[in-house]
Amino acid sequence: MEKSTARLGWLFASPYLIYSLIFFLFPLLWATYLAFTNWNLISPDYEFVGISNFIEAFFSESVRAAFFVTYKFLGMFVPIAVVGALMLAMIIHTLPRFKGLFSVAFFLPYLASGVASAIVVNGVLSYNSPFNIWLRGTFGLDIDWLGSSILAPLIIALMMAWKFAGYYALLFVAGLESIPKDIYEAAEIDGAVGFKKFWYVTLPMLYPSFYTVTILAVGLMFGIFTEPYVLTGGGPDLATHTWQLEIYSQAFERLNAGYGTAIAVINSIVTFGSILVFRKILEKWGARHGWE
Amino acid sequence: MNAITNLEGENKMKKLCFVLLLMISGLIVSGCQSDSGGGEGSSDGKVEFEFWAAPNPTQEAFWEDMAQQYMEEEDGVSINVTPMPESPSSEAGIQSAIAAGNAPAISENISRGFAAQLAASSAIVPFNEFEGYEKLIQERQMEETMSSWTFTDDQQFVLPVYSNPMLFAWRTDILAELGFDEAPRTYDEVLKAGEKLKEKYPEKFLWSRADLVKPTWHARWFDFFMLYNAASDGNNFVEDNKLVADNEAAVETFKFFSQMAEGDMLLTREATDPFESGDSIMMDIGPWTFSYWDEKFPEMVEGETYELTMPPVPSEEGTENPKTFADTKGLSIYASATKEQQQAAFDFVNWVFSKPENDLEWFEKTNLPPARDDLATNDAFTEFLEENSELKKYADNIPNAVPPIASEKTAEVQELIGTEGLNPVVKGEKDAEQAWEDVRNAIDGVLE
Repeated sequence: MEKSTARLGWLFASPYLIYSLIFFLFPLLWATYLAFTNWNLISPDYEFVGISNFIEAFFSESVRAAFFVTYKFLGMFVPIAVVGALMLAMIIHTLPRFKGLFSVAFFLPYLASGVASAIVVNGVLSYNSPFNIWLRGTFGLDIDWLGSSILAPLIIALMMAWKFAGYYALLFVAGLESIPKDIYEAAEIDGAVGFKKFWYVTLPMLYPSFYTVTILAVGLMFGIFTEPYVLTGGGPDLATHTWQLEIYSQAFERLNAGYGTAIAVINSIVTFGSILVFRKILEKWGARHGWE
Repeated sequence: MNAITNLEGENKMKKLCFVLLLMISGLIVSGCQSDSGGGEGSSDGKVEFEFWAAPNPTQEAFWEDMAQQYMEEEDGVSINVTPMPESPSSEAGIQSAIAAGNAPAISENISRGFAAQLAASSAIVPFNEFEGYEKLIQERQMEETMSSWTFTDDQQFVLPVYSNPMLFAWRTDILAELGFDEAPRTYDEVLKAGEKLKEKYPEKFLWSRADLVKPTWHARWFDFFMLYNAASDGNNFVEDNKLVADNEAAVETFKFFSQMAEGDMLLTREATDPFESGDSIMMDIGPWTFSYWDEKFPEMVEGETYELTMPPVPSEEGTENPKTFADTKGLSIYASATKEQQQAAFDFVNWVFSKPENDLEWFEKTNLPPARDDLATNDAFTEFLEENSELKKYADNIPNAVPPIASEKTAEVQELIGTEGLNPVVKGEKDAEQAWEDVRNAIDGVLE
């Protein structure tokens, strides 16, 4: 009976496993192979070039920029998105009525097209937008929002936080709902009130949600494309140049698909490594609060 | 009893497993099936092929109409017109389709630079090898236009459908306030207009173009190449994979940008409709703008609020017949299609372009000037051009328009013009001579 149950388990898992095999594992292996070639995506002929694509990528200024820019985005986006999502979740959680309605409302930006929202942001921040005219007229402030290497990544990070905070908030809401009331009661007996209750009970008890949200947010930063593509094109001076922009530019604009794939392989290794580091940090924090 | 139940249970599970496996296999097989490319080939004695139209409703409507009319005349052909995928650009969509073996037999929206990339990989076939090509070029009156499209090995991989000689629009109403009767034609005149503008309206700019400080390679068509082609009288930039640019003209072009930047005449930030709102008084303009103006800015009237001119030139000598950049795209036939499909695709194109009235229909539907030498003189277009006088200037200048460089390294070359030259010049980080020297060296390195 145990054997047949196991077989049934495999059977039900098989659609996803087969899907992953076809759409993830096979492309990954194929991409790894292509990374060692000079294929341009359209020519029937290509050659094996060893590790030269990887060496070229290692010395490339734009690849280096993509590496550091991603961590810059990560440093801006993850705290903003996680804190924003947590605040939204707390608001939704404390609402006496219409929790579902508000959850959906906050989730809506997640469904918005990246291109459309980037165009809107572009319009709002344009030189002659009412907002900038007001800033110039009232305070004499003439800010080049997307031309500044500090402000441009911050704007993209804020845009993405706006888009994803509602989605992450749903995960936090689920976490908040699952915290047993008696823990709060016990904490109150021990004298925990107000912020202390939040700090010593809610936050540690939300560890599973934190874990999921943080890992999702970290992973997201390694795949940013649409927002910088539409808003800044990777500029100014590569300040918003992401891995995906570099891969796209190499593979589809310059037809260096082999080289582009090598960058994609490096990107996946960096992503994997970074997520691993964040996992370890989070697990340590979780273990300190009793989550093994 | 238990044993019997277990046995029945196992049998049921086996059946379930079998059904599920069958469903999964079916899904995988159907999901992995790919088109053979170019279309279905032949069935019932008919030649079937895919035609990818540019992802633009008006262009798609034109080709659908043409295909319909052609199929009514030719029983043996079936053409499936679909918009080409944009993921995220039409070029990327075509590359993915070729890699996946799903390329159409023929597509439009191919620029000369992209065609050079496709041709270098033997992904497209030359038009000049089809029987009837010479006749088609003569019939469509496009010998002069085609001469600038020839690839280095005398092959013609693209048949241009339209050609937009890029022009500059000037706010003549604001120029009049500044004391100018007509739009500037030389660098000196432009700079003088810019100085007057800044004196009277310090918050206004001569030219608003955020791309001037961006490395985006295709943006160079609408700034550097417009002015370089005018300054160099259309001198080639890259030939036989070598940089053959006119040094003097390139330096003059950069110097002009530098002078405008120094005078605070360039707005290099994103702005919404700056020309229409009067925040800037000069703008690079293609004919696609007019339908937008009709809808949103009816006050933009040629001769009243604006005037169209060819790009300014360094001195008075070049003002007579200056050259400009041609925003032009055309058709290419794919090598992955069968010979039968390739021939059928060519025959269809031949049929479409053998009649000026089809070009007129194109012009009416899209506002994009057909790539014909006789557009301004052929009677078939006279009435339409009289009704749409703003398009007349474009029609007149088709022979003066230079298409993009034909190099498989187009993207790298044009990106270097930006990163090593135009961007730092506009930001005031390099002088014109140094910028051109750096651009030359960097491009030589790429083309080696």
